[in-house]
Amino acid sequence: MKTAQRYFPAAKRIVLVIFITFACLPLVQMTMISFVATLPTPDAEVGSLTFSNYVGIWTDPNLRSAFLNSISYVLINICITIPVAIPAAYAFSRMSFIGDKHLFLAFIAFRITPPVVLTLPIFQLFSSLGIVNSVYGIALAHCLFNLPISIWILQGFISAIPKEMDETAFLDGYSRPRFIWKLLMPQIASGIAVTAFFCFMFSWVEVVFARILTTTNGKPISMAINALFGFQTDIGLVMAVTVASVVPGAALLFAMRNHLSRGFKIGSV
Amino acid sequence: MKNRDNSGWIFVLPATIVLGLVGLIPLITVINYSFFEIFILDARYWVGTEWYKELVGSSRFWASFGRSTLFSALILAIQIPLGIAIALCIPRGKFWVGITLAMIALPLLVPWNMIPSLWLSLLNPDTGILGRLFPQVGWPHDWKLSVAHTWAVIIAMDVWHWTSLVVILCYSALTTIPATHYQAAAIDGAGPWQVFRFIQLPKLYHVLLMAILLRFMDSFMIYTEAFPINAGGPNGATMFLAVDLGEEIKAFNYGPSAARSVLYFLIVLSVAWTFSKAQGRLDRRGAA
Repeated sequence: MKTAQRYFPAAKRIVLVIFITFACLPLVQMTMISFVATLPTPDAEVGSLTFSNYVGIWTDPNLRSAFLNSISYVLINICITIPVAIPAAYAFSRMSFIGDKHLFLAFIAFRITPPVVLTLPIFQLFSSLGIVNSVYGIALAHCLFNLPISIWILQGFISAIPKEMDETAFLDGYSRPRFIWKLLMPQIASGIAVTAFFCFMFSWVEVVFARILTTTNGKPISMAINALFGFQTDIGLVMAVTVASVVPGAALLFAMRNHLSRGFKIGSV
Repeated sequence: MKNRDNSGWIFVLPATIVLGLVGLIPLITVINYSFFEIFILDARYWVGTEWYKELVGSSRFWASFGRSTLFSALILAIQIPLGIAIALCIPRGKFWVGITLAMIALPLLVPWNMIPSLWLSLLNPDTGILGRLFPQVGWPHDWKLSVAHTWAVIIAMDVWHWTSLVVILCYSALTTIPATHYQAAAIDGAGPWQVFRFIQLPKLYHVLLMAILLRFMDSFMIYTEAFPINAGGPNGATMFLAVDLGEEIKAFNYGPSAARSVLYFLIVLSVAWTFSKAQGRLDRRGAA
């Protein structure tokens, strides 16, 4: 028993290292290929080490605008999702109203609805609204899964705050909206940051809506990568663009790492 | 307890409007289409439940259903225990926790359509890290012809992609356990297994329910990642439910694809309902 307990932490460490290696392996592969010339060019042989793939991203106007499109639709999505989710999360956390359980169930059902089920009618609806081929269309479509998740995460954070805080504020003459704005928001600031990060994460990598809603214009980075595949695919460039597309998320992730590790709370309604 | 207060509806109204627009209206459209034969959207005629009968009667549908069910079962059986185990292995020191979690979460940030390419290049026999290593351990060169190997690759890919989400969720629940619980367990002489069984696991129930829900549904309806690995092959052995639907939409079969979508949504709804029942039971147990 004593020896088993001595080796336990070491075993944990080994399991963790193996898993992290597994998690990083494809990313290492991707980074390696991104520095290799994979198509014959005048100044670099196939298989030689090169930075030309990364230079290629800079010089290609399509790729540059794709990065801009991705960043803008994700930001627009967050700007829609968070302000809409906060009052809803507050209501689910603090109030009991007719149909609240059913409404929450409906929200969850929309989160787990596969996007492919709704692609066709969303395309038609958005064409008639005139937001196809623009970043606004994708931003709005992604609310389908980001909004329920955001409500869920925020609801956990709000529930962690003692109810007495609300009651004292109401005695002090705060109205509910003013209480949410002035007192509650600062309390759940880290929760809002975590939620925004999750919105970013799920929205940045999504491709089904992104594909159907951008046939001619407003292509995000994932679709721009798709367009690179062809008769003769420059896989080095493809990998370089993929690396570049992971970098903003990774930067955010490292900035957010202590919020993630402090643990965001998820409860029930 | 919560206050009984119907003004709650005012607070959820914006969210309801947004989800009504991007969720409910499209859903009603799909339900409407599923009862029509549609050549172009202006010319259509009523066919009743014909598409549904055709779908439910087709062996192809049930074969895909079976494959998706098996896939989800395997994914849950691997990812949930693995996610819990990894979350338990994460060290306590503040500095390393952040670094570890960030490293683990990296796979979540790769655009989904690039994930198959990543894995294919990893398995490339000439340039891939695993592709060069694997022939020595008996991995065949023509693995794309083998059902078992194709499944193994898709499962490994999904485990790689999504286990991190389970880890993050579990870890977030573990951090809510007060240190005093561990101290009490140490005084009682509890071993690691007892600590897990009676202190850590109960705290994980809620989060695990969410993890199971998300992982079940997303793997059951896996679409973007599964198809490019082996084009649904060999011999359609990796054609999953959502892939069938995607093919039908690409072929502009409005009616049949709509019927399929409605059927899938019914699956979604029953899963969500089961989930809320399970959550209700957990709550009652927590309250008791």
